[in-house]
Amino acid sequence: MAARHPWAAFVTAAWSLLGVRAPAAQATGTVDVGLSSVRYDGFLPSAAASVSPAVRWEQPTGTLTARGTYLRFESGHRSLQGLLAGSLLVRPPVRGWRGELGASLGASRYLDFASFWHATADARLHVLGADRGVWIGGTGGRTSFGSAARPVAVAAIGAWARRSHVMLAASATRSFVGDTAYSDLVSTAHTLRGALAFDASVGARFASRGGGRGVFGEASATLALGERTALFLSGGRYPTDPVSGSVAGRYVSGGVRLRLANPAPLVSRNSAPTASPRRMPDDGDPVASVRLEVLPRPNGAVRVVLYTANPAADVELAGDFTDWQPRPLRRTADGMWETVLPIPSGTHRLNVRIDGGAWIVPAGLTRAADDFGDEVGIVAVP
Amino acid sequence: MTLHWRGLGSGLVVVTLAAGSAAAQQVDPRLERLDSVTRPIVAALVDSARATALPTEPLVQRALEGATKRAAADRIVAAVRRLALDLGHARDALGPTTSPPELAAAAAALRAGAPPAILTELRRLRRESLTVPLAVLTDLVASGVPVDSAAAAVLSLAAKSRDTDLVEFRRAVERDIALGAPPASATAAAAAVTAAAVQVNAGARQQRPGRP
Repeated sequence: MAARHPWAAFVTAAWSLLGVRAPAAQATGTVDVGLSSVRYDGFLPSAAASVSPAVRWEQPTGTLTARGTYLRFESGHRSLQGLLAGSLLVRPPVRGWRGELGASLGASRYLDFASFWHATADARLHVLGADRGVWIGGTGGRTSFGSAARPVAVAAIGAWARRSHVMLAASATRSFVGDTAYSDLVSTAHTLRGALAFDASVGARFASRGGGRGVFGEASATLALGERTALFLSGGRYPTDPVSGSVAGRYVSGGVRLRLANPAPLVSRNSAPTASPRRMPDDGDPVASVRLEVLPRPNGAVRVVLYTANPAADVELAGDFTDWQPRPLRRTADGMWETVLPIPSGTHRLNVRIDGGAWIVPAGLTRAADDFGDEVGIVAVP
Repeated sequence: MTLHWRGLGSGLVVVTLAAGSAAAQQVDPRLERLDSVTRPIVAALVDSARATALPTEPLVQRALEGATKRAAADRIVAAVRRLALDLGHARDALGPTTSPPELAAAAAALRAGAPPAILTELRRLRRESLTVPLAVLTDLVASGVPVDSAAAAVLSLAAKSRDTDLVEFRRAVERDIALGAPPASATAAAAAVTAAAVQVNAGARQQRPGRP
């Protein structure tokens, strides 16, 4: 029965996290709950259930992350991991350069005998461009397996670039952990398409003395179901990490990510359409996948385009540039709805109505409380 | 349509005080869309704003918005009154020569939580119109960026950047946030004509969801 206590504690912590608002504007929290099939190198394959709460606090000048993972294997054995890491950004007197100082404390424990801890500090120098950048850095510290602490030294260099919706990064590191030494080359990619985010990485370990060698790669997909819930699927192979004590392995995992909401600002950038709370339940959900774009034209007019995945017979727009008189949008051949209006430069308020339903704020607009118990979209026309 | 006596009472006081000028002013015909109880109160508020040289069009539009949304009379009156106060505060912060679009944008920024001192500083730094910088400021706050971070970013750009640069800056922040950068960090990085604060906090060892 004793083994159930950590599980219960983590579940309790997870629910408490969900019920507690983040303490600062940029504090966010997530809880991943998943099932995995994993095969660590040198061990038999096993199924595992995991709970991973994480809290991240962000400021323009720094970030702090606390994360834990509780794993319970098919055999009934369990492992615990915890990590606290932070970094502070400093701005050297050179435009586009950033310094970063960081520290990381972590520990893990499997059964009652295998335990790791590490304490490291690192420094990086970033050279940042508009859509690309490079960095160089070093890490030093100590790590321990059991009782003997070993020195850690890592030299690293990396680069990243952004192309449209894809972020690419690559890094090369040379690590020394006690008498173990190895080099890693890793490249990563991240893209976000609507509610779906993809992440992938491939890498190779070489020039290794006691750290293993070979090729590794991981991929994950995360599908947002709403502002606070997402499904994830991940898998791949990762290498041994002598600093944190993780053993190389292969895995496939799936689960759900539950996210704490940020403290609600008075207005919010709209990532999903919202409907009036006065909408009747039997109205259905005609506002799903509704997105509006406001496209200024050189002649001073503004083209308003609305995309909706659901069939609609009638779409209307009202705003402070129509004296809040509903204006019908015209259906285009490719299924969109559009209108062209003379909208002057400035900030404007507007709402959209589909098939005579409630006034809604489509995705793509800034959303604000409208003083009338509903919400209004805000758009800036340059 | 319901009307709370409190709202009606204070509205009638305004009507009484502004009766002289209201009688002399032609009521905006667009306000005919308001009901007979709400219309004179809103008209008085509009006249009162006009008398103090505040822009009246935003007030009319706010009332029309309420009418279109079939809001209760007391809500419409309260909304117009609140906007008039915001416009007044915006003018106090920006100065008497501020254009109506700037005042409207500033009122929205104040409503989003921007302190008046930021607006004053923005006016000091920028000779061109403040409409777009204020809209960007409001939008950043809406994107989850803390007000002080958003204000610092806009202030750092306001002096030399064109409106198109500011709009591009806002797009860069939005794109970086969509790509996973924290709002505050994305704003700070973009404001320095840099990019998303990716690859920071290496010690946190970015981990895939579900990795055992």
